[in-house]
Amino acid sequence: MIKLEHVNKSFHNGKPAVRDVSFEVNKGETLVLLGTSGSGKTTTLRMINRLIAPDSGQILVNGAPINTQQIEALRRNIGYVLQDNGLFPHYTVAENIGIVPTLLKWDKKRIEERTHSLMEKLRLSVADHYDVYPQQLSGGQQQRVGLARALAADPSILLMDEPFGALDPVTRASVRKEFRSLDEIRNKTVIMVTHDVPEAFELGNRICLMDKGVIQQTGTPAELLFNPANDFVSSFFHEQRFWLELNALRLTDIRPWLGNTAPGENHAPVLKGENTCWDALEQLTTLSAPVNISFDDKLVRIDTSELMHAFTQHKQTVSGHGRSTRLS
Amino acid sequence: MEDQPGFPEFVQQQAGKLLEQTLQHIGLTFISLLIAVVIGVPLGILITRRKKLAGIVLGIAGVLQTIPSIALLGFMIPLLGIGAKPAIMALFLYALLPIIRNTYTGILQVDPVVVDAATGMGMSKRQLLYRVQLPLAMPVLLAGIRTATVINVGVATLAAYIAAGGLGEFIFGGIALNNTNMILAGAIPAALLAIIFDWTVARLQKLRTRKVKKSLYLLPFLLVVLSSFYLLPAAYGSSLVAGFTPEFMGRKDGNLGLKQVYGLNIRTVVISDMIMYKAAYEKTLDVISGSTTDGRVRAFDLQALTDDKHIFPPYYAAPIVRQETLDKYPELAPALNKLSGIINDSIMTELNYRVDHLKQDPAIVASNFLKAKGLLQTAKHGNKGTIVIGAKIFGDGYILANMYKLLVNGYTELEAITKTGLGGTKICFDALTNGQIDLYPEYSGTGLLVILQADKSVVDTLISDNQKVYDYVSREFMQRYHIKWLPPIGFNNTYALMMRRQQAADLHINSISDLKEYLLHH
Repeated sequence: MIKLEHVNKSFHNGKPAVRDVSFEVNKGETLVLLGTSGSGKTTTLRMINRLIAPDSGQILVNGAPINTQQIEALRRNIGYVLQDNGLFPHYTVAENIGIVPTLLKWDKKRIEERTHSLMEKLRLSVADHYDVYPQQLSGGQQQRVGLARALAADPSILLMDEPFGALDPVTRASVRKEFRSLDEIRNKTVIMVTHDVPEAFELGNRICLMDKGVIQQTGTPAELLFNPANDFVSSFFHEQRFWLELNALRLTDIRPWLGNTAPGENHAPVLKGENTCWDALEQLTTLSAPVNISFDDKLVRIDTSELMHAFTQHKQTVSGHGRSTRLS
Repeated sequence: MEDQPGFPEFVQQQAGKLLEQTLQHIGLTFISLLIAVVIGVPLGILITRRKKLAGIVLGIAGVLQTIPSIALLGFMIPLLGIGAKPAIMALFLYALLPIIRNTYTGILQVDPVVVDAATGMGMSKRQLLYRVQLPLAMPVLLAGIRTATVINVGVATLAAYIAAGGLGEFIFGGIALNNTNMILAGAIPAALLAIIFDWTVARLQKLRTRKVKKSLYLLPFLLVVLSSFYLLPAAYGSSLVAGFTPEFMGRKDGNLGLKQVYGLNIRTVVISDMIMYKAAYEKTLDVISGSTTDGRVRAFDLQALTDDKHIFPPYYAAPIVRQETLDKYPELAPALNKLSGIINDSIMTELNYRVDHLKQDPAIVASNFLKAKGLLQTAKHGNKGTIVIGAKIFGDGYILANMYKLLVNGYTELEAITKTGLGGTKICFDALTNGQIDLYPEYSGTGLLVILQADKSVVDTLISDNQKVYDYVSREFMQRYHIKWLPPIGFNNTYALMMRRQQAADLHINSISDLKEYLLHH
């Protein structure tokens, strides 16, 4: 879907902003570009919709090099969400959402319907907000409008530059959650830039960790945690490592080390194999009682010590392999 | 102006003229504004895209803005002649800076994130400009247009100096003729225009963006309509064009006399004395209201038409002095009188020719002349007191003031300083009565008609006799203002209609009556 091959970019000061960046994002996948400020992640993102031209290397979207595609057509097929939302202050909410469909010359009625449906999906009241100007909305609402605007023409690709970065932590968590549960997102190829590690782990199928314009490692959250490519990668997650690990591992991943204890009482809460170790630990500590997990093969009952034991066993195994484990 | 009527009466009398001038004024303002918007806005947009050009373009527009408006008008004359073209060009250049600058800053101050979002969503440069940058820059852009409008209304008054019409005709005519009503009749509408336009654009600026979109479609239309006002008054015409000074236009011994006594009907434009002769020489004008001793008459080979019905009264020059000053310094009058009877018409024309055309310094011309006549004495650098010598802005004044300065410094213990270039009769005379100057050279005819504004009956009995006019003004000035007319210098600087010698010969025009006959049949 999107492929970068040995992309380089330097700015006027001569210092390379992006060096030899290559990665590939598959259809329907979410790749998070993670790094501190100045790591080149935003530059990388903006090269994909040609807001910045690379010095060398090639970028392909839908199999074709982007510089052979008509620039406006390329951009109209790529949703773009910015940190400071970039809403047009002289356009109403509805007009903002309708920008790309208008550029694509959709008829009025279709734009209106699409706007209505997106506003509903993003929990924006059509009655209250359809005709107001962005300045009259809260930060969270503005960001939702920004998201709706990017999704309006149903592009197959979504580029997001720190989309939740300007929001306070509480709003941020709720907008993020909505974003994750949005059915519109499911089949979209998403590249998102963030410096927020938990956000990267929560939203990314894969994470591309960058530093000083160079990719340090690309892989699933678990690969980055348990098989770091270098010291930078391992130290990057140092502070939140335990929490991240619990979040990165699904219960199916540690299934081999969990016993086969049959479920006890019938009314004990049931988790799925897709849930993370963190979900299970949260349940266990809140309830102070064992929980049931429904794996594909059978229903298993675990308690806290059993969970932590399996978790530790898994860690020892994967780090012993010395290479990334494919988890899916 | 037989007797000065009240302001409302004056406006009523001159309503037609006032309307014409106001329309011309609006027209001048908006034609130039329209051109400035058509050129300035795209230029402002261009320099937001070519940053290297920005410094140069804004620099040039800024320099244009600093040129004094009368000088800018002056620069335009060699390039575009006189009339509407140079005036519109100069006004356009003045309006350019605020419009370019505000377009530029207006677009640059649009939130870069918004521009980024618009580009990233796939807007073309044109769409970005029309849908995002211009609408968001509009309040700032309108502020620029507002500034330019107010500047143009003000500067357009000066257009009267170069025969482009407008409310300046009343203002400068009024100053020259010592007619307050006339000044106000020009100044008040000009001020009102500025206030109304400023207010209107301010309202536009404050409208919510959505409404602005609609009213903006009206704006170009409105500009064109207002611009066309300029064309309305120019509906009449004759084969020859006359250029008269604002002063001449309103004087009984000027255009009014020409109409009443000769029945002369000629297309007339108002023009500054400074460029009138050259415009005649360059064939932009055919007839001008010259003064007989002006050096440019000789320089440009112009011919004065005979005043066969005697409407131009004698204009013998003499110094007029505050009696108070004469009493205080009795030695002053003899010093000034050394010049009495020395300079005749041809000498004065020659002296003026040196200053106006050969560009010699009036001080040097004055000193050379005195030396030749054996009148020059080295300055005594006395400290008994200071005498301030004034002079009108026209040719004779500079030279005479300089001669008087040399005489006072050479023959008395007084220290003379000159204040030359005083705008007109009114300004000079007011300065004299207020004691800001002690003396200045004045003409007997001006004293009679402009300052004393003598009744028609009185004028009729005096006008053909120089001595009678001189005696009358001497007596009246002493009585009314306590100002003394010293003996005349000798030359008669009277008005005359002038034409190019060649053209006058071709058309067989020698007198004003000939001119009238010619116009009747062509």
